[in-house]
Amino acid sequence: MSDAEGAQAAARPTAWWTGLTARQWLGYALAAGFWGWLVLRWVNDWFLPPGVGTGRGQPFIAVAPIRAAAASMQATAAAGGPYAVVAGWLAGLLSALAFVVPALPALAEGVWLTLVLTVASITLAFPIAVLLSTARVYGGAGVRWLALAYTELIRGTPLLAQLFVLFFGLGLTTYIRAVPGVGTGFIPDQAIWVAVIGFTINSSAYQSEYLRSALQSVRPGQLTAARAIGLSQLGGLRYVVLPQSFRYAIPGWSNELVYLIKYSSLAAFITVPELFFRAQAIASTTFRYTAMFTLVALFYLAIVLSASHVMHWVERTTAIPGIGGSRVRQL
Amino acid sequence: MSRLLEVEDVVKSFGSNVVLDGVTFGMDRGDTTILIGPSGSGKSTLLRCINRLTELDSGTITLDGVEVTAPGADVNAIRRDIGMVFQHFNLFAHLTALENVTLGLRRVKEVPKAEAVERGRAELEQVGLIEQADQYPAELSGGQQQRVGIARALAMDPKLMLFDEPTSALDPELIGEVLEVMDDLAARGMTMLVVSHEMGFARSAATEMLVLDGGVIVESGPPAQLFEAPEHERTRRFLSRLTEMEAGG
Repeated sequence: MSDAEGAQAAARPTAWWTGLTARQWLGYALAAGFWGWLVLRWVNDWFLPPGVGTGRGQPFIAVAPIRAAAASMQATAAAGGPYAVVAGWLAGLLSALAFVVPALPALAEGVWLTLVLTVASITLAFPIAVLLSTARVYGGAGVRWLALAYTELIRGTPLLAQLFVLFFGLGLTTYIRAVPGVGTGFIPDQAIWVAVIGFTINSSAYQSEYLRSALQSVRPGQLTAARAIGLSQLGGLRYVVLPQSFRYAIPGWSNELVYLIKYSSLAAFITVPELFFRAQAIASTTFRYTAMFTLVALFYLAIVLSASHVMHWVERTTAIPGIGGSRVRQL
Repeated sequence: MSRLLEVEDVVKSFGSNVVLDGVTFGMDRGDTTILIGPSGSGKSTLLRCINRLTELDSGTITLDGVEVTAPGADVNAIRRDIGMVFQHFNLFAHLTALENVTLGLRRVKEVPKAEAVERGRAELEQVGLIEQADQYPAELSGGQQQRVGIARALAMDPKLMLFDEPTSALDPELIGEVLEVMDDLAARGMTMLVVSHEMGFARSAATEMLVLDGGVIVESGPPAQLFEAPEHERTRRFLSRLTEMEAGG
């Protein structure tokens, strides 16, 4: 039996959850709670027939008892006595909860759009980035210059300005609205399409830079060897250079995903009702900006931590001896 | 009938630096030709011109009756017929030893997978690495990597094998295993053009030696003749230096 087979045999029988630390258990429990709640909300809001569940946009927990409890704690605190400080503190907590609970359904709907924007854009941008980066590294002078110009133009101008040009300047919405089906059922309306187009253009430029440096990490002798066995230049890129550079690009790519999750909040400025838009709408009607934006920051944090955890898993599972899978980020 | 490989009056310069200045030689089937010469004399460039990894300026190269240097020649088809082994192995880092050997079969010759795997395993067996078939290049020693490199080239059934300093990047204790494979290959009748300063290998396996200096072949002949009675004083000094180095190192 070779060494590699021996290592595989030793690794096989253990289930993934054995050997988790208490901190990891806590992390997984929190993540399960967050994502479990989100999925329940989406199912409740979009798939359950009327009469089943709480109804669209209605919180799972009734707010009235919380408000009542907050008021009674407030009264206890005002009456003075030995527990006045604790009662005051509890009253504050309960009233914050009474504020948060009714806001949650709208935020859950916002998270859905944030995820759609992020995942659609980063996925659509990927093939464009592969073309751009390959053109940059292996293309002729003309193609190389075009790819460079595109990348520098997109990376050198603000994302918000790019969205405004697409949304207000080019009036893309007019054309998209004319496409049959847009905005009906589960097909998003025109502003979301514009946002996806904008983020795709933007992300392709950034991803192409990550991929370019990954392409340059592959030792050039390998392409020569590929040519020497009779593969064409394109064949060598496809079968030898790109599979390696994708692995080298994963850390940069994770970074881009994390950025895009947060940058997708800029879609709020072109009327897309994603997570940040919802938070802003609630904050401006209730005037509780600090509480609302703290809450929404925690939402983004939960999404980002989940995403980077998944990407780290991808990095580990695609690693090959000698390529990728750095242990630096292992917690 | 013409010879297997004919190189005629090949000229190549990089800018104002003339690297090959009219190189002419030939090889028959089953020949093992050793190409030696001082560093920078154009040995690697000559090898790379033969499979057109480098474009020459003038001259002609013919392999088995096909003119490699013809303007419309299909370079991919030519390279399929010429195996090449590199100084730094250049294995595909993301593929196992077996996948390194089968990639060309699968993607160039479009051989069905099962057949390619069978052929690949046979080639690894031949270079003594069947146990390492599923290991990645980073898990192999330099000598093992170079043997995979040889198996990768052999799997394509080349008419000619080019070796570009196959042992010069190896630790001394790993050179032997690679030379053994090459010795074996020469004995089996493979036509081999080898850039190498391993004089022991030259004595045991070479049918002819070429000395390249200043962009031309200054001397050629069977190894015994070159070692015993070189025509040029320069050849004698160069060979004795190589032999001394080998004895000392």
